[in-house]
Amino acid sequence: MRNSLKVAKWELKRNLKNKTFVIGLFLTPVIIIGFMIFGTLFGDSDESHEEELTHVFVNDQLGVFPQLQETIKQVGFNWELQETNLEQSEVEKKLEDREHTAYIFVQEQVLEQGNIPVYTSDEINPFFMNQVQVLESPLQAMQMAQLGFSEEEMAIVSQRFNFEDVRAESTPSTEESEAADEASSEDLLERIVPGAFAGFIMLSIVFTGMAIFQSASQEKKDKIAEIILSSLTPGELMQGKIFGYFILGLIQSVVSIAIVLPVLLWRIDVPVLEYLLVPDVILLVMIAILGYLLFAAVFVGVGATMADMTTAGNFQGMVMMLPFLPFIFISPVLSDPNGLMAQIGTYIPFTSPGVLLLRLSMLEEWPWVEIFISLAILVVSIWVFMKMAGKIFKVGILMYGKNATPKEIWRWLRA
Amino acid sequence: MEVMLTVEGLEKSFKDKKALKNISFDVRKGEIMAILGPNGAGKSTTIRNIMGIMYPDEGSITFHNHKGKGIPRNKIGYLPEERGLYKNVKVMDILLYLADLKDYPLHRAKERVLEYLKKFDLEGKENVSVEELSKGMGQKVQFIGAIIHEPELLILDEPFSGLDPVSQEIFKQEIRDLANNGTAILLSSHQMNLVEEMCDRLFMIQHGQKVIYGTLNDVKAEYANFKCTIHGDNQIRDMEGIPRVQRVEQESEHSILYLDKDVEPINWLKSLPNHLDVQELKINRTSLHEIFIDIATNKNLVQEEGESHA
Repeated sequence: MRNSLKVAKWELKRNLKNKTFVIGLFLTPVIIIGFMIFGTLFGDSDESHEEELTHVFVNDQLGVFPQLQETIKQVGFNWELQETNLEQSEVEKKLEDREHTAYIFVQEQVLEQGNIPVYTSDEINPFFMNQVQVLESPLQAMQMAQLGFSEEEMAIVSQRFNFEDVRAESTPSTEESEAADEASSEDLLERIVPGAFAGFIMLSIVFTGMAIFQSASQEKKDKIAEIILSSLTPGELMQGKIFGYFILGLIQSVVSIAIVLPVLLWRIDVPVLEYLLVPDVILLVMIAILGYLLFAAVFVGVGATMADMTTAGNFQGMVMMLPFLPFIFISPVLSDPNGLMAQIGTYIPFTSPGVLLLRLSMLEEWPWVEIFISLAILVVSIWVFMKMAGKIFKVGILMYGKNATPKEIWRWLRA
Repeated sequence: MEVMLTVEGLEKSFKDKKALKNISFDVRKGEIMAILGPNGAGKSTTIRNIMGIMYPDEGSITFHNHKGKGIPRNKIGYLPEERGLYKNVKVMDILLYLADLKDYPLHRAKERVLEYLKKFDLEGKENVSVEELSKGMGQKVQFIGAIIHEPELLILDEPFSGLDPVSQEIFKQEIRDLANNGTAILLSSHQMNLVEEMCDRLFMIQHGQKVIYGTLNDVKAEYANFKCTIHGDNQIRDMEGIPRVQRVEQESEHSILYLDKDVEPINWLKSLPNHLDVQELKINRTSLHEIFIDIATNKNLVQEEGESHA
């Protein structure tokens, strides 16, 4: 164990002194941020669409136009409010060749029914129907003033007005359902944030762990394996490498998070930290670490069979793709987190960390039985793969100058 | 002399081919023991079995100064035949790592690294990246790596391969010094001339089997007949007529007379005919190199001798 730690320490030191690694260390989060900003650039261009002037024509039969104008000015919407005498029947035709245009009919029956018809052009700010709700208060105020209600009466009367989008294809959205939506999306975020966090840690240590591949074959290319093995056992060397690259992966994660998180907090309006500091994260991160150990065992074993990275055969190339296997399950799991595909993915060792993280982020009720079975499978597979990797590593690391064939690897495994 | 390592009845097979057959020898404190043999004879296999990098099918390997099981890795220095160093690291870093793996105190290691770099003409290279070193420099650094922790037993597999003559001399001197200071040294080589000058005992191996085992002098007395080299204008027929001459090799004025096994040099010299033209004459035993060539090319003479003594 002490020897393994020495190897781990050496791998750490060697990589941290390596310019390529250090550049990569900081470049990764910068690229992530780059993509985020890139994304919001597109977002911004959308917003500028939204910011486009919306022409709002009001057929005002109640004489509230000045108040409406005042309200819009206060809220600061980019609307151009105009009075019109157009009839409801003519609106559709008028809107056909218009963009960013809406017609609001404030008529006598409004005060009785509380429904205000709104006609909009095909292209319009997607939030227009929400924005238009602000006109409620001036109307309500006017209604009350007109009726000269007492406070009690006002309370009774302060029923909501409902702006109804009359266009056939649009679905009417009430404030209530919207609130519900918001609540559920917050719930979802609360689960996704820890899941995404664990997923990020897993990806970053697995990707760093892919360097084990190179490290194991480098040992052979540099022909130093035999010198090192005169001081320790192959098992110790292997463990040391796995542990060393695990720490490197963690360093990568910490650096990335330290750089990305502040930007994230600044750019998006989600209490990320609050969601992160929950007990669930421990389980999720544990799954991520188990995932790493599994891939590390495979990488270190297969890395030892290769003469060097550039001569990786088909077999070795396939193994490199293993960490991407969970991606197959992403869409089935997203569409049904408890479906058959999701369950299958949970029980296959190579996909289970990824699929579990995804499912646990989606599901409100965690399927504990499945989690335990899957973790048990994962732990057993890690043990098995470590044993196998140890056998392959022991022989492979000393085989200079050529790649091992699957047949040879099979023989080593049975030895 | 205290025995440090005993190898007893080593057997090893690869697939159906027997790589080692009943190999037995020992290595003693303060001596240089050489394993000699042509390529593929089993030298590296023997050494790898000693180092625990391979496991023998049969036989035992005993480290006498070591209680408990396993290999006393910290007391052994090892320079494998296939050797190299991590490329993108500094000389000092890699040497300290190797010392650390042997549990050698780092401050001592640091001193020794600087000391040896100076000795090997590499002063000031400690902060140079390994990839910037020439091959010879790299070999020297590897050698320092093998002895940095003051091993009791030093195992060198083909230490001279790929070295220029100057570096060979430095290595030879250093290995000799280490032996004189009490290190037990086991080295393998196919460069006879080098080994002949420095080893105390030798173990010659061919096809995975022992051919010769003993001290250099014993081996020479046993297998190396005298030969007489004469410079002078002589007829080959005249020389072939000299008693106890097995064969004569002649090249212009340079003749080598191979003598019978139990020739007394003084008596034989007296039997030389008076009319011989002698500008220069020297008499010595055939070299290890010639014995080795005989064995490697399966010339019967030594092979038979070897087996009858096995």
